Amino acid sequence: MGRVYMIVLGVLMTGGLWGCGYNDLQGLDEDTKAAWSEVVNQYQRRADLIPNLVATVKGYAAHEKETLEGVVQARAQATGIQVTPEMLKDPAAFEQFQKAQAGLTSALGRLIAIAENYPNLKADQNFRDLQSQLEGTENRITVARKRYIDRVAEYNKMVRYFPTNLTAKFILHLDERPNFSVADEKAVAKPPEVKF
Amino acid sequence: MMPLHCMSRVWREPARLVVFLGFLLNPLLLSALDVPPLTGRIVDLAGALPAHDAEQLSARLEAHEQQTGNQVAVLILPSLEGEPVEEYSHRVATTWRLGRKETDNGVLLLIALKERKLRIEVGYGLEGTLTDLRSAHIIRNEIVPRFKAGDIPAGVRAGTDAILQTIEGTYQAAESPTRDRQLLQSSAFQYVIIGVFVGFLAGLVLSQGLRRARALLGAVLTFMVAQAASILWGVAAAGLTAVLLWMALSAKGPGRRRGFDDWTWYRSSRGGWSGGSFDHGGFSGGGGDFGGGGASGDW
Repeated sequence: MGRVYMIVLGVLMTGGLWGCGYNDLQGLDEDTKAAWSEVVNQYQRRADLIPNLVATVKGYAAHEKETLEGVVQARAQATGIQVTPEMLKDPAAFEQFQKAQAGLTSALGRLIAIAENYPNLKADQNFRDLQSQLEGTENRITVARKRYIDRVAEYNKMVRYFPTNLTAKFILHLDERPNFSVADEKAVAKPPEVKF
Repeated sequence: MMPLHCMSRVWREPARLVVFLGFLLNPLLLSALDVPPLTGRIVDLAGALPAHDAEQLSARLEAHEQQTGNQVAVLILPSLEGEPVEEYSHRVATTWRLGRKETDNGVLLLIALKERKLRIEVGYGLEGTLTDLRSAHIIRNEIVPRFKAGDIPAGVRAGTDAILQTIEGTYQAAESPTRDRQLLQSSAFQYVIIGVFVGFLAGLVLSQGLRRARALLGAVLTFMVAQAASILWGVAAAGLTAVLLWMALSAKGPGRRRGFDDWTWYRSSRGGWSGGSFDHGGFSGGGGDFGGGGASGDW
């Protein structure tokens, strides 16, 4: 009879896990990963646009070396970071990724700002198209980041809330995930410096 | 007999209430511009389109949806009230859920008169054809020149025409969704069968306890398993287990006759599941999602 009770206990525990967020946690874990892929995807898309953009600007404003090089360097830095799923668990690596992308954002902002000084460049069809694509991508990045922030917040809540935190800690071994920080938001939102 | 810590779910509700109140008090959120109700394909809050134009355009969009499945809507606002056009338009598009759920084939053309800003918001599924670039071209070449000339209706007409032409023929009628549904049902069915099996066995195996308690335990177990399919399935499966156990146990051993106690307990403990969606008649979004594709412009 002892064995029977063990079976019943096992079944009960399985049921209990269902009740205590086992599935929800697993689902949210996957959701955050998917949302993260979308963020990375959009950042990659932006990086892909940059060589063309730099080449076009060079055609009109080759002597703006500093700004152009700044963009190229920032891009190299951003794309040089190996993006792995482990990054989601490591606040330091996440921070580094964030910083590199923010650096690229502000370098690009400077590039677009100097374009204002070159009417011919501004009127160039190719440049305008690239600019629209860049704007579109920045907007997608914003959306993807927002979704990631929401997902991670939801996930972190589950990991910290009382009943489900036990499941997260002792059974799934899930930790809180780093999220995009406000400081970073501020850096991104800061208007680019315009040098004359 | 769930592990004890499950009980503290009770505490989550008050916590949510506090968070909710916090949101209410947040001045930023209070000032955010509301998403207007989706009253039709053309929502003209600024009164910029003559009724005749709006009707014609709406008919065109409807015909297009019937033909291709793409949902296109136009929103004209008097003012954005300080909100960035990209943020607001994404909020409107995702609230209205334009486009079908599986294909995300919705488009929103948003125009704010006071700020002289406009945006084409493109659903995930149409990003490949109505690209950011194409959207920017439509804004730049079709809409803005007409808006600059002061002719809002002509700009809206030309813009929607260009959008429709771009996305026409991009969407193949969805294959009948029956296969998906069957798949879903069969997996739901698995949960139900396993659930009933587990619950029934557990109820039988327990040698002690009242018949009622054993039937109840079996039903609860079944529910835990079968709710993975859906709450409704869970309740149904639990009911089935309870009845089966009750019958099996009545046939076997002694036990008090207590009629339908278990049933009433069950119904009251799990009362009220959410109903299906209501069709308001007229136009409603199909559940499409938006990832920020499209382009913005001004005039």
